[in-house]
Amino acid sequence: MEDIQYIGEHLLPGKIGQLAMFLSFAASILAILSYYFATQKRDTEEYESWRNLGRFAFITHGIGIFAVIGVIFYVMVNQYYEYQYVQAHVSEDLPMKYIFSAFWEGQEGSFLLWMFWHIVLGFILIGTAKKWEAPVLATLASIQLFIGSMILGVYLGFGDEPARVGSSPLMLLRDMVDAPIFANADYVSLIKGTGLNPLLQNYWMTIHPPTLFLGFASTAIPFCFAIAGLWTKEHKGWLKPALPWALFSGFILGTGILMGGAWAYEALSFGGYWAWDPVENMSLVPWLILIAGIHTNLIAKNTNYSIRSTYIYYLLTFLFIVYSTFLTRSGVLGETSVHAFTEMGLETQLILFIAAYSLLSIVLLAVNYQQIPGPKKEEATPSREFWMFIGTLVLLFSGLIITASTSLPVYNKIVQFFDPVYEGSVITDPVPHYNKYQIWIAIFIAFLSGVSQYLRYRGVNWAKQMPKFLTRSGIALVGAAVMSFLTLLWIEAEAWQYKVLLFAGMFAVVSNLDYIIFFMKGNMKAGASGVAHLGFGIMIVGILASGLNKNFISSNPFIMDGLIEGASEESLRNNILLFKNSPMIMKEYEVTYTEDTLNTFTRTYTVNYKRKDESGKVIEAFNLYPNILYDKSFTKIAASNPSTKRYWNRDIFTHIASLPQVEMDAEYRQEREDSLKYKLITTELQQTNVFLDTVPIKDQDTFVVKRYDIEVLSVSENARHPDYKPELGDVSIGAKLRIRRDDIDEVFEVEPILVLREQLLYSYPVQMNELSAKIRLSQDILDQVLTIEQDLNYQEFNFKQGAEIQIGNQKIRFVGVDKTPEHPSYEEKEGDIAISAIMEVENVNGDTFVAKPMYFIRDNKPYQLKYEIKETGTHFRFVGVNPTEGTMQMLVAQTAPKVINSVPVELATNSLRSDYIVLEAIEFPGINLFWAGSVFMMIGLLLGMWNRMSQPKIVESV
Amino acid sequence: MKKIYIIAIIMVAVAIGLFINAGKDMSTYSTFSQALVANGKVKVVGQLAKDKEMYYNPEKDPNYFSFYVRDTDGQEKKVVLFQEKPQDFELSEQIVLTGKMKGDEFHASDMLMKCPSKYKDEEIYIKGEERQG
Repeated sequence: MEDIQYIGEHLLPGKIGQLAMFLSFAASILAILSYYFATQKRDTEEYESWRNLGRFAFITHGIGIFAVIGVIFYVMVNQYYEYQYVQAHVSEDLPMKYIFSAFWEGQEGSFLLWMFWHIVLGFILIGTAKKWEAPVLATLASIQLFIGSMILGVYLGFGDEPARVGSSPLMLLRDMVDAPIFANADYVSLIKGTGLNPLLQNYWMTIHPPTLFLGFASTAIPFCFAIAGLWTKEHKGWLKPALPWALFSGFILGTGILMGGAWAYEALSFGGYWAWDPVENMSLVPWLILIAGIHTNLIAKNTNYSIRSTYIYYLLTFLFIVYSTFLTRSGVLGETSVHAFTEMGLETQLILFIAAYSLLSIVLLAVNYQQIPGPKKEEATPSREFWMFIGTLVLLFSGLIITASTSLPVYNKIVQFFDPVYEGSVITDPVPHYNKYQIWIAIFIAFLSGVSQYLRYRGVNWAKQMPKFLTRSGIALVGAAVMSFLTLLWIEAEAWQYKVLLFAGMFAVVSNLDYIIFFMKGNMKAGASGVAHLGFGIMIVGILASGLNKNFISSNPFIMDGLIEGASEESLRNNILLFKNSPMIMKEYEVTYTEDTLNTFTRTYTVNYKRKDESGKVIEAFNLYPNILYDKSFTKIAASNPSTKRYWNRDIFTHIASLPQVEMDAEYRQEREDSLKYKLITTELQQTNVFLDTVPIKDQDTFVVKRYDIEVLSVSENARHPDYKPELGDVSIGAKLRIRRDDIDEVFEVEPILVLREQLLYSYPVQMNELSAKIRLSQDILDQVLTIEQDLNYQEFNFKQGAEIQIGNQKIRFVGVDKTPEHPSYEEKEGDIAISAIMEVENVNGDTFVAKPMYFIRDNKPYQLKYEIKETGTHFRFVGVNPTEGTMQMLVAQTAPKVINSVPVELATNSLRSDYIVLEAIEFPGINLFWAGSVFMMIGLLLGMWNRMSQPKIVESV
Repeated sequence: MKKIYIIAIIMVAVAIGLFINAGKDMSTYSTFSQALVANGKVKVVGQLAKDKEMYYNPEKDPNYFSFYVRDTDGQEKKVVLFQEKPQDFELSEQIVLTGKMKGDEFHASDMLMKCPSKYKDEEIYIKGEERQG
C-alpha cells in the first residue's frame, strides 16, 4: 500500500506520551535495581547512594506515568479521534464531567489508574517508611514493571507474528483498524467518537473505580512489607509498620466494594446490592483474606504467635488481587459474568504476573520458614489469640470456597486444553449456591467476633477471668435471644438456618455494644474492633431483613390471575402494567403513572404513590421518577435507571421494566405507522358523521361493530400541535374534531394538523389511546384551503396612503402602515426592520375585511409574508417600499372566494396504545441496617488505622 | 495433638464434604432433549430462532414473553419467560436459559443473553450518518 500523507492528525501528543511511557518503564527497572542494591547493602556506606538513586528512579517513573495520563487526558479533552482510545471512549456529546469516567472505562485507562495509586502510595512510603523504604519500594517498583508492561504496546520477536507486549492507549486508530476510510487522507474530519456507554454515565462511575483501584493498589503495600520482612529476615520488625497500611487497605478496598454494591442497587436495575457475580466475588476474596491478615498481624504484635500466617495472608491478598485481575480481564469468565472486560490478548502477560509473584512468595517463604519465630507452646484455649486465629482460618476458608466456585470457568478451560471434547460445567443457580455455604461462615464469624472480645491475650488470669467471661457471654446470649425474637416479629426468616444466622448476628451486636460501653467505657477510638464487629453484626441483620424479605410489590395477583396459563410461576411475575392516569392498587399503595418528560436523551416518568387509611383518606403521597436513556440514534433504549423512596426502615425501589415497543424502537414505530389502515371520512363543517368500524373477533365467525361519531367543529390556519415546532414560512392547517365511541363515555376533542413547509407536507396525527385509534387530517383538504401560488395572476400596484383601486367588483384601499406588525407566520428576531400594510377590502355587499401583508428586512435581505382574505379570495404580497415617492409596492391577485365545504379526515382504529409502562417495584425492608453496618465496619477499620498511626513513636535503631 | 491440627482436619473434612455436595449445584449445558428427562432445573444454550414468532404483549400480561430457541442439537422449542422482554433481545447471538421443560414448552426462570458488544465494536462512526429519531 502506498503511503498516504494524512492531514488533520495530531501526532505529537502521542509521541510524547509514548516516550514518557518508555521512560517510566525504564525508570521502574532502574528503581528495582537501585532499591535492590540499597537493600542488599543496607548496612554499608553505599546504602544511601543506592537509596537516593532508587528514589530518583521511582520519582522519574511516577512523573512519566503522570505524563502519560496527562497526554491521554489532553487528547481526550480535545477529541483527537485519530487515537483509538479517544475514539472508543469519547464523543462530541459527552459532558466534560464524564471525562474521568471515559478515561478509566477502558482496560488501559484502568491499568494506568492502578499504577497512579501505586505511585501515590509509593511517594508516601518514600517519606515515611524509613529503613523499610528500600525493600518495600523495590517490590512495589517490580509490580509497576508488570502492570506497565500491560500498556507498553511494543512488539517483540521475529517473523510474521511477533508477540505483542501490552496494549498502548496511545495507538492510532488507523494502525488498529483496517477500514476503507483510511484511504482518505482527511479521514480525521470524517470520524466521530463512540462515547461512553450510557449505563456508565453517572456519578458512581466517577467515584467507584478510583476508590476500588486505590483499594487494589493499597493491598500491594502489606504485600511489599511481607516480602521485605522475608527478604531482610526481620520477621518481627515489619509487622508494626505494615499494620496501619493493612487497616487502610481494608478500609478503602471494603469501601470500594460497597460502592459497587451501592451502585448496583441505586443506579442499575439489578434489584439488589450483591449478586455473587464473579467480578464481585473476586474483589471480596482478597478483602476477606486481608481482614484475616489484619487479625493475625494483631496477634503477632501482641503475642509473637501467628507471624507465619500473617506472612501468608498478606502475600495471598495481593496474589488474589492479581488473580482477580486475570479473571476479569482475560475474557475467561465468558458468559458467566455480566461485567467482564473484553479480551485484549493480555492473558499470557497476566498469567506471568500471577506466576512470578506466586513463585517469589513461595520461594521466600520456603527459604525462611524455619527461621520465622513460631510458637514455642500452643495457644491457650481460653486466649483471645486462639479464637481470633480460628476466625482467620474461617475467613480464609470462605475465600477459598468462593474462589473455587468462581474459578469453574478456569477449571473448564484447563480440562478442555487437555481434553477438547470436555463440555465444561456451570453453576446452575449461583446465588443459592454461594449463600448456602457462606451462611455458615457468617454464623461462625459473628459468634467468634462476639466471644473473643471477652477473652484476653495469652489467656492471662483465666481462673479469675472465667466467671466474668461466663456472665458477660451469658448476658450477650440472652440479649441476642430477646433481640432476635423482636426482629422476627418484624421480618420473616423461615428456615432454621436463617434463624441461627439472625441469632449469631444479634450476638455480635449485643456483645460488641457491651464491649464498647462497659469494657472500653465508650471510648470509641480504643474500641475500634468493637465498632467494626458491631457493624458486622448489624450488617448480618440487614442482609437477612432486606434479602429474605425482599418483596415484589409490583404484583397484583387479582388482576393478573388467570390471564395466562402457567400460574405456578406466579412468583416470578414481578411486573405490573400501568396505563397513564389510571391508578392501580399495588399492596398498600395506589400507584399512578401520571406523566413523562423528555430531556435530550432521557425520558423521565412520574409515578405517583398514595397510601390511604381505611376511610380512604390519603395518609402519604410521593412521586418516584424512574427514567430511561435512549441511545444516540434515538432508536433503542440504552439504560433504565431506577428511582427509590427511602424510609428509615425500608426502601421502595422502582424501575421501568418495559415500555410499549413503539416507544422503545423507532424502526418498529415506523413499521407500525406504515401498517396502519386509515379510512377516509368526509364530514361537512360543523356536522357530525357516523363511522362504523367492524372488528372481527379472532378465531370466531363473529364481528363487533363499533360506532364512531365524528363532529367537525372548525378548521383554522396556523394551528398548533404538541409535536409541531413552527418555522418561518410554514402553512399549517388544523381541524378541531369531537369524537365519541359508542362503548366509551368519554368525548375526545382533538386537533390533527397538516403542515406545508417548502413543498413538503407533514402530518401530525392524534393518538387516542383509550380508543386505540389514530386520526389525521387528509391532505385532500389542501385543495379547499390553499391556492396554488403559480395559478394566481398577480398585478402590481404602487399605493400611496389613502389610495383606492377596484379589482373585479371589490374595492381595495391602502389605509396605512403598521410599524409594530404582527403576522401569523412571523416570529420577531432581533435586528428585524418590519412593517405591514393595512389593506381594506370591501365586497359587493359592503362587508369590509382587513389584510396585513408584511414586509421586513432581516440580515440586509428583504422578505415578505403574504396575506390572504379567504372570504373575498384576495391575495396580497407586499414586495417593496419606495421612500422617495412615499409609495408601497404591492402585488394583488383575485380568485374566487375559498369556502370549506367538507373536511376529510382519516381514522385508523387498530393503532397500538403507547401510554403505558411496565413497572417493577421492590420493597427492601431494613436495607439501611445493611448500609449502616457496612459503614460501622469501615469506620472501625479507619479508627484502627488511626490508633496505630497515632501511637507514640519509638525511635527505631537502624 | 495440637488443637490447631484437629481444627485443620475438621476444616479439610468440611471442605471435602462441601465439594461433594456442591457437585449438585453444577451442571453442564443441556439440550432440550436432555432437559426433558432431567429432574429439576437445567441450563440450555442455544440461539434465537429469528424466523419464528416472538410474543410479548404487555397489555395482556407484562410477565409473559415467548419465543423459539434452537439448541446445540438443532432442535427448536418454544420458550416461555415469565418476565418482561429484555431490550435488544433480537440482537442476541447466544442465549443461556435456566429452567425446565413443561410439556412441549421450556419454562425459563432466568435468561442470559450474549449480545454483540454495542459499545466496544470496531465500527467507526461516520459523521452525519445518524438517523433522525
